[in-house]
Amino acid sequence: MTIRVLNPTSEAVVETMQPAPRLTSLAGKTVGLISNGKEGTAGFFAHVDRLLRERYQVAQVVLRTKSNYSAPAEDEIIDEARNWDLAITGLGD
Amino acid sequence: MKPALNAMPDAFESQHFDLDDAGDAQEFYHSRGWTDGFPIVPPTPEAVQACLDWVLMPANEIIGIEPVRERAITAEKLAINAVMAGCLPAHFPVVVAAMMAMLKDEFLLHGTTASTGGCAILVILNGSIRKEIGSRSDFNVLGSSDRATSVIGRAIRLALINILQVSPGAIDRSTLGHPGKISYCIAEDEEGSDWSSLAESRDIPKDASAVTVLAACAPRQIMNEWTSKPEEILDTYAAEMRANMRNYSIWSGNYVVVMAPQHREHMRVAGWGRKEIANYLFEKARIKRSEWSTVGKGSVIRDKGDTEYCALPSPDHLLLVAAGGPAGGFGAIIPPWLGTKSQAVTAAIGVCLDCEPPPQTK
Repeated sequence: MTIRVLNPTSEAVVETMQPAPRLTSLAGKTVGLISNGKEGTAGFFAHVDRLLRERYQVAQVVLRTKSNYSAPAEDEIIDEARNWDLAITGLGD
Repeated sequence: MKPALNAMPDAFESQHFDLDDAGDAQEFYHSRGWTDGFPIVPPTPEAVQACLDWVLMPANEIIGIEPVRERAITAEKLAINAVMAGCLPAHFPVVVAAMMAMLKDEFLLHGTTASTGGCAILVILNGSIRKEIGSRSDFNVLGSSDRATSVIGRAIRLALINILQVSPGAIDRSTLGHPGKISYCIAEDEEGSDWSSLAESRDIPKDASAVTVLAACAPRQIMNEWTSKPEEILDTYAAEMRANMRNYSIWSGNYVVVMAPQHREHMRVAGWGRKEIANYLFEKARIKRSEWSTVGKGSVIRDKGDTEYCALPSPDHLLLVAAGGPAGGFGAIIPPWLGTKSQAVTAAIGVCLDCEPPPQTK
């Protein structure tokens, strides 16, 4: 006598988006940083900004900050990100 | 007998497994990370079907969609997790209503479940369903007071773990969490209180049963058995709220106050109801940012030391709940996860708040 039981997880997850193509080099590119706005982000992203320019020859670094650090970025930031070659999101915890 | 909308249990979309016995099922589910560590009730098609029948929902009914990750939650998956938690079919309407409320945009479910802050989902019950399911509001109300509230709260957690991947280290990034993340459900003591119910105070019709959900921190218990004056009793609650503002989060939001009968009796004798209590705490639960210097947070005061912060954006943000055992001058405050970033949601059980009325027929 066996017992039949059901899978409790979301099995059929349909991915609604595809990752952007990977870059082979950052030189001359525009990189966007999306900060969650927490206290620690200022120093952290300033350091990332410097590394990107000095070590990877990034042409432009754009810093944008979410208004709610626990919610997705605003549509304006997402729209602007379409003009970036690379986006980096980060926490400031 | 209620009609079966899914006549063939094997027609569920979920993958099924044929195991040797219930003991085998325990290890099977634990080994896959599908539990909270406690034993589960094996979710057989028949048990899941019974939950769906109770709420008259087909298995593929969409309970809602988590808006950030765009994950749909079906009645079938929610019922499977409810059965695993130990829910009886009669408990399932509460689980459905709570999940629907949690999926409202203003609740910000993804943020609350992913945050390092480690809050839990507090579910507060009102209305006749409390009695129908045998929930209790007295002794040990914030502990394991009864079967119904224990399994309903657990069903919410298992559903998050299994349907939305809110397991520790996956979506759940809590630094600490708290015991309410096992189960966090209470019922209001409406019969023992002169107040209108919490749900009524939040515009739910008196005759409807309802749930209120809040992304909530752990309870902070207070004690004051040495006065009968409402102001002095509430000063103790306000002091705990201020302590939370200094030590945890300064941002205003939905604070729960759980008040046991001994304090409620003093309020009743003095003629203090919900409005008077909320107004008093709104005035008293305030701190200035400069107070951060007393708890080691002086470095972030900057030039805002004189800025005053109130625990409540307005008096009606207080969620005052009558609950607790008959003896003892105790109460508790339950702080919000993070100010108003997630807001409490109250929803009637078994009522589709977003549905269009049926078309008129001639």
